[in-house]
Amino acid sequence: MIERSVVHGTFTIERVYDATPARVFRAWADPDAKARWFVGPAGWQLLERAIDFRVGGKEHVSGRMASGTVSTFDSYYHDIVPDQRIIYSYHMHLDHTRKISVSLATVELKPEGRATRLVFTEQGAFLDGYDDAGSREHGTGFLLNQLGAELQR
Amino acid sequence: MAERSVVHATFSIQRAYDSPPAKVFNAFADPAVKRRWFAEGEGCQVDEYSVDFNVGGYERTRFRFGDGAPMRNDTTYHDIVPNERIIFSYTMTIGENRISSSLATIEFNKAGAGTELRLTEQGAFLDGLDTVGPREAGWKDLLETLARALQS
Repeated sequence: MIERSVVHGTFTIERVYDATPARVFRAWADPDAKARWFVGPAGWQLLERAIDFRVGGKEHVSGRMASGTVSTFDSYYHDIVPDQRIIYSYHMHLDHTRKISVSLATVELKPEGRATRLVFTEQGAFLDGYDDAGSREHGTGFLLNQLGAELQR
Repeated sequence: MAERSVVHATFSIQRAYDSPPAKVFNAFADPAVKRRWFAEGEGCQVDEYSVDFNVGGYERTRFRFGDGAPMRNDTTYHDIVPNERIIFSYTMTIGENRISSSLATIEFNKAGAGTELRLTEQGAFLDGLDTVGPREAGWKDLLETLARALQS
C-alpha cells in the first residue's frame, strides 16, 4: 500500500525575451509553435500531443525520456488574457500509473520597452514521497530557454 | 481596460471531525451531500450544480446572493484517493471577471475514531478583485458548515 503524503512548494522564474508580448503569447497559444519548444531534453520522444487552448480546454502531452521513463502532462486552462496572462493547472504521471504532482502555473507577460518580461509562478503539490529535489524548477527553466530559442526563429 | 495583476498566496486550515474518514470523504464525493453544505446556503440561490467526481472531471456551481452578480466556481479534479485525499483546481468568476484560480489539497487523516482534515490552498488572486483573507475565512465557514452536516 502506498504511504500517502503531500509536500507543497512554490517557485518563480523570470525571463526577458526580445519579442513583443503578443509574439510571446502566440508561442503558447499556437499549437504548432508550442509543439516546437514544449518538448523534453535530448533523447526525448513524443508519444502523444493534443491541445485545446481556451478557458476550460485541456492539453495532453506524453513522451518517453532517454531513460525509458514515460512522462505524461495533463493540463487544464483556467484563465487566458491575450498577450498578458495564462493560468493552467496540471498533473504529471510517470509511467502512466504513478502520479507525482499537481500544480497551478501562472504565466504573466509584461512589456519592457520592446521586449517582454515573462514571470512564471508554479504552486505545486508533490505526492507520495516523490522527491522533486528542484528538478521541476530546473525543467521549467529549460523549457523557458527553449521558448527563447523559438522566439529567435 | 482592467489593470492586470496576480497575487500568489498559500494557507492551510486544520479541522477535526468526530466522523471517520470514509464519512467525511463521502461529504465531498457524493454530489447530493456536497451540494447541501457546499453550494446551498442562507440567501444563496443555486442556478446550477453539476459534478463529475473523477480525475479529469469538472464541477460547476453557478450561484448568486440576493440581487448580487452571478458567481461561478469551475472546478477540475486532479487527484482522488478514496477516504484519504482530494486535489482539485478551481476558478472563481463574478459576473464576467475571473477573480482567482487556486489549487486545493484536502487530506483526510484518521485521528482516533474521527478525522483530522487538512486543507491547503495555493491561490492566484487576480486583478485586485479578490484576496486571500476572505478566501481563508470562507473555507473556515464552509468547514464549520460541514461539521454540522456530518452531525445531521
